[in-house]
Amino acid sequence: MIELKQDALLFSFPEMHQKARLGIEFQRTLRIPDDDRDYPLPPGLGRFPLRHVDDFGREVPELWLQHGGVMLPMYQSEALWLNFESSRGGYPFAIKIAAGKTNAITGESWKEKLDRRPQDYVVAPEQPWLDGYCVERGVIRQFVAMPLGSGYSAEEQITGEAEHGGLQILVYPMKAEAFERYFRRRERALGDACRYASESVQGAALDMGLAPGGRMRQEIYDDPYKPADWDLEHGSRCFVHIANSLVWRGITGQPPPTVPATAREYTDAGLPWFEYYGDDAEVVGGSKVLAQLKSVLKLGEARKDTPLPENDSVEPGKIIALRKGLAKNQVREGCF
Amino acid sequence: MYHVVHTTYMKDEFGDYVRQRREQLRTQDPAFSVRGLAGRIRVEPSYLSKVERGETPPPSEATILRIAREIGEDGDVLLALAGKVSTELQAVIRKRPTLFAELIRELKDQPDHAVLRLVREVRDGEW
Repeated sequence: MIELKQDALLFSFPEMHQKARLGIEFQRTLRIPDDDRDYPLPPGLGRFPLRHVDDFGREVPELWLQHGGVMLPMYQSEALWLNFESSRGGYPFAIKIAAGKTNAITGESWKEKLDRRPQDYVVAPEQPWLDGYCVERGVIRQFVAMPLGSGYSAEEQITGEAEHGGLQILVYPMKAEAFERYFRRRERALGDACRYASESVQGAALDMGLAPGGRMRQEIYDDPYKPADWDLEHGSRCFVHIANSLVWRGITGQPPPTVPATAREYTDAGLPWFEYYGDDAEVVGGSKVLAQLKSVLKLGEARKDTPLPENDSVEPGKIIALRKGLAKNQVREGCF
Repeated sequence: MYHVVHTTYMKDEFGDYVRQRREQLRTQDPAFSVRGLAGRIRVEPSYLSKVERGETPPPSEATILRIAREIGEDGDVLLALAGKVSTELQAVIRKRPTLFAELIRELKDQPDHAVLRLVREVRDGEW
């Protein structure tokens, strides 16, 4: 089952195991410069608000109601990353992530089964977060929002159509007996800055898609378990619609979050960036399909368009190192 | 303003639970000393120590929720151990007190799976 709790999706499988609970939150962040340099991880600037689409049936497109799921507001000037939080016991999950039904790890079109070669999913808690499309081994292109239909999203670049938009998430838990086998011993040991939007609302397109933005150093870790360890009979999936923040109040009656700082403002304020080290964990290679995508800047240049008015390169000064098995206080949170 | 309803709590139950959980975590991470945890939840170490020993009543709702986040426990569970109900839940009940009182009484002896059927799930559609 999936619940919406405090702006996060809570996937739980109580019929399988009490510890089979996974939280997925959608963190707001600044757009890293799209300048072909590889940047460290930007901060989390708080959760995007999440709402049931069913609660706003009169205001959202019929297609959104058909998809079901939830929705969040996003400005074109911001980016998103997914934070995976499994319970303290570390119950493992295989998670498929797609944007516009284009797999974010492989660039392949949506399918529900798990593929190991190439691996088309991430494994939590080994993978603490995902910030974008996996374009090379150890490099992703950031998830940034562009109006669906403008041609920038990965979906549109690959399929030529603006059909789906949003984010699609499918979670498979580890089989309970496999969890007990791997973790019984460990279980015993453990015991049980802000600016207000000034853009005009008029004419803003509602539906946003995720496009490949700037490059970031982030590894996608290889699945350390066996294919048979995953319970493919008990998957839960959710469609996350992305609404333009400029029309969020019109849909929900609630104000959207404030516009996040730019990368330059954030860096100039001396605030930290992050690097994550997964120790000796195996890393999967990047997708050839996704590597062919044009970044928002490159595509804009080719079309003589200026989709990114603020895209100054920055020199992250303060970089905080985070290691696998994040300890308390090792949070990737910034504040501006 | 302090809104939490104080109900009867089992003396020491809250403090015992927090101490046991903190000490478990401390075997993995020294940051879970009394001083370390107290610093992060913004109370004096001596106060946290008294709370854990049951020498003083459980702290405020906000502090309990900070403790819950730090030790990886559910905030509602810790509040319940402290004999409290969150401000958020009180507001929900106050809006429709008769309905919720009736609902809770009806469900009090139901097994978990029956109660879970009432939880609102995110609806999946066709895509």
